[in-house]
Amino acid sequence: MESFQEFLCCVPAMALILLVAYYPIVELIRISFTDWNLIRPTYTYVGLTNWKWLFETWQYNHVLNSFFATLKFTVGHMVIILVAGLLMALLFNRMSRGFSFMRSVVFLPHYVAMTSAALIFMVILNKQYGVANVILEAVAGIRVDWLQTGSLAMLSMIVIASWRSVGYDMLIYLGGMQGISRDYYEAAMLDGASGVTLFFNITLPLLAPTTLFLVVTQFISSMKVYAVADVLTAGGPYRATEVMVYLIYTMAFVDFRVDRAAVVSICFFLFLLVVTALTMNVSERKVNYDA
Amino acid sequence: MGKADSRLDFRKTRRRKKLLRLAQTLAAILVTLVMAFPLYWMFITSLKSGKELIGPTASFFPTDGIHWENYLKVFEQIPFFRYLFNTIYLTALTLVIQMGTGILAAYGFARGNFPLKNTLFILVLGALMIPHQVTFVPIYILVANLGWIDTFAGLVLPTSVSAYLIFMLRQNFMSVDQSYLDAGKIDGLGIIGTLRHILIPMCRSSVATVAFVTVMDGWNNYFWPKILSKTEQTRPISVGLVMLKNSFEQSVQSQNYNVVMAAVLVSMIPVVILFVLNQKNMLTGYSKAAMK
Repeated sequence: MESFQEFLCCVPAMALILLVAYYPIVELIRISFTDWNLIRPTYTYVGLTNWKWLFETWQYNHVLNSFFATLKFTVGHMVIILVAGLLMALLFNRMSRGFSFMRSVVFLPHYVAMTSAALIFMVILNKQYGVANVILEAVAGIRVDWLQTGSLAMLSMIVIASWRSVGYDMLIYLGGMQGISRDYYEAAMLDGASGVTLFFNITLPLLAPTTLFLVVTQFISSMKVYAVADVLTAGGPYRATEVMVYLIYTMAFVDFRVDRAAVVSICFFLFLLVVTALTMNVSERKVNYDA
Repeated sequence: MGKADSRLDFRKTRRRKKLLRLAQTLAAILVTLVMAFPLYWMFITSLKSGKELIGPTASFFPTDGIHWENYLKVFEQIPFFRYLFNTIYLTALTLVIQMGTGILAAYGFARGNFPLKNTLFILVLGALMIPHQVTFVPIYILVANLGWIDTFAGLVLPTSVSAYLIFMLRQNFMSVDQSYLDAGKIDGLGIIGTLRHILIPMCRSSVATVAFVTVMDGWNNYFWPKILSKTEQTRPISVGLVMLKNSFEQSVQSQNYNVVMAAVLVSMIPVVILFVLNQKNMLTGYSKAAMK
């Protein structure tokens, strides 16, 4: 075996990956068959009790609510950052000092921690004194309770997360656009194509790999949203922003029902796995890597 | 006549183009202002007096004097520098371990040829889909059994290895031509030497980018420390800022937003410095990483 040294290089990382990624998955499955409660020192195996709980009390256990809250957040967040990111890439695609500076400013929120962003927007969205309501009142004559109205709280969460990540998507799209050969545009312009046609027939299809990269990498990071819901709304009002991670956290460390938390974690994980696998599968067949 | 028409057309399109450019510039400035507004608001809020914060209007400049003492209140209210040190220490520790294990593994996967290599690499890719936000319950129990609650070892554990980093660097290391490595071998370079003198320098911007991503993740880490940090000995600034907010009674929270915003602003300074130092590298590095 001539690559024994190379094999050794992989050992530390593989050991850690097995320990912090795969071992916990196996443990989750095992815990899901117990009645483990963090208050009690011992536990016993109880078969499918927790799985039965999940499916038989679905009307009361709030898991489905959390799942849809997470999905709402993820879809809203990703649609906004992908569309706005692409539009902003078109808008900011000019090589000059001023534009370079503006690109940096747009990217800057990416460096603001999610908790800090949530705190900043908590000030802006404050019902009584927040500037958002002051502006809204001046423009439309109304005031709203951003963080205590279910749909608005969710919208606020999406806006905050998008504010942080749209600059990153813009940057990745700009990189993708620079990778497209000018020949395509020149050929199309000789045929009399307009700017809009160029965008839909050349830019957009040739950016498909870039879009795919963003979708795959940002899907999971959107699904595991926690900090903003914790800081801004604490899952409220009436569980409207109680996202999956928040629910699992509450089950495990507030209710101490580790067994039920395990069941929910497994379902959450399976969902991430299936969606990611499907995205990868579609991409292999449909995405144009010709750029 | 025809000639004059076309000249007129030409002028028209040129004028249209100029107008379009102007519109683009104005739109870009508008978007930039909107994106910068929350940061501006943070800054301006941090300077206002508590009385002004609960006044009837939200003014765009402090009208009740500029109150730099809000920044001093931060340090009275929480052990700010202790939290900041914890964050820096935690981030540095994560960076060293992640880069150490990750670079070696990336090299092994890119350049090695051993049985089960593909199977192991699929395990790496699979780990991308297992964030610790999903598996934190067993990890917490593991850490508790090790006696690592409220320790840096426990805090680092879930993020001690990054599948993303291994994947990105492997792609980059594979793209380096074999002839460089052969030349290195002739000069007697071992694996560490090859990495230090050939692979890492040749993939500098990608290495910098993944390192930066690691630093940002470490800096932003909130979920796991919130569970694990019980005392100020290990508590990072992200958790500290939220505790600062919660340390004010609900009824007086609004008038203390100036102190909270001051703390948020100061906690951002190290990251902004990194950003300024590394700006050029970052902007190209990110898009390069995406292309691979």
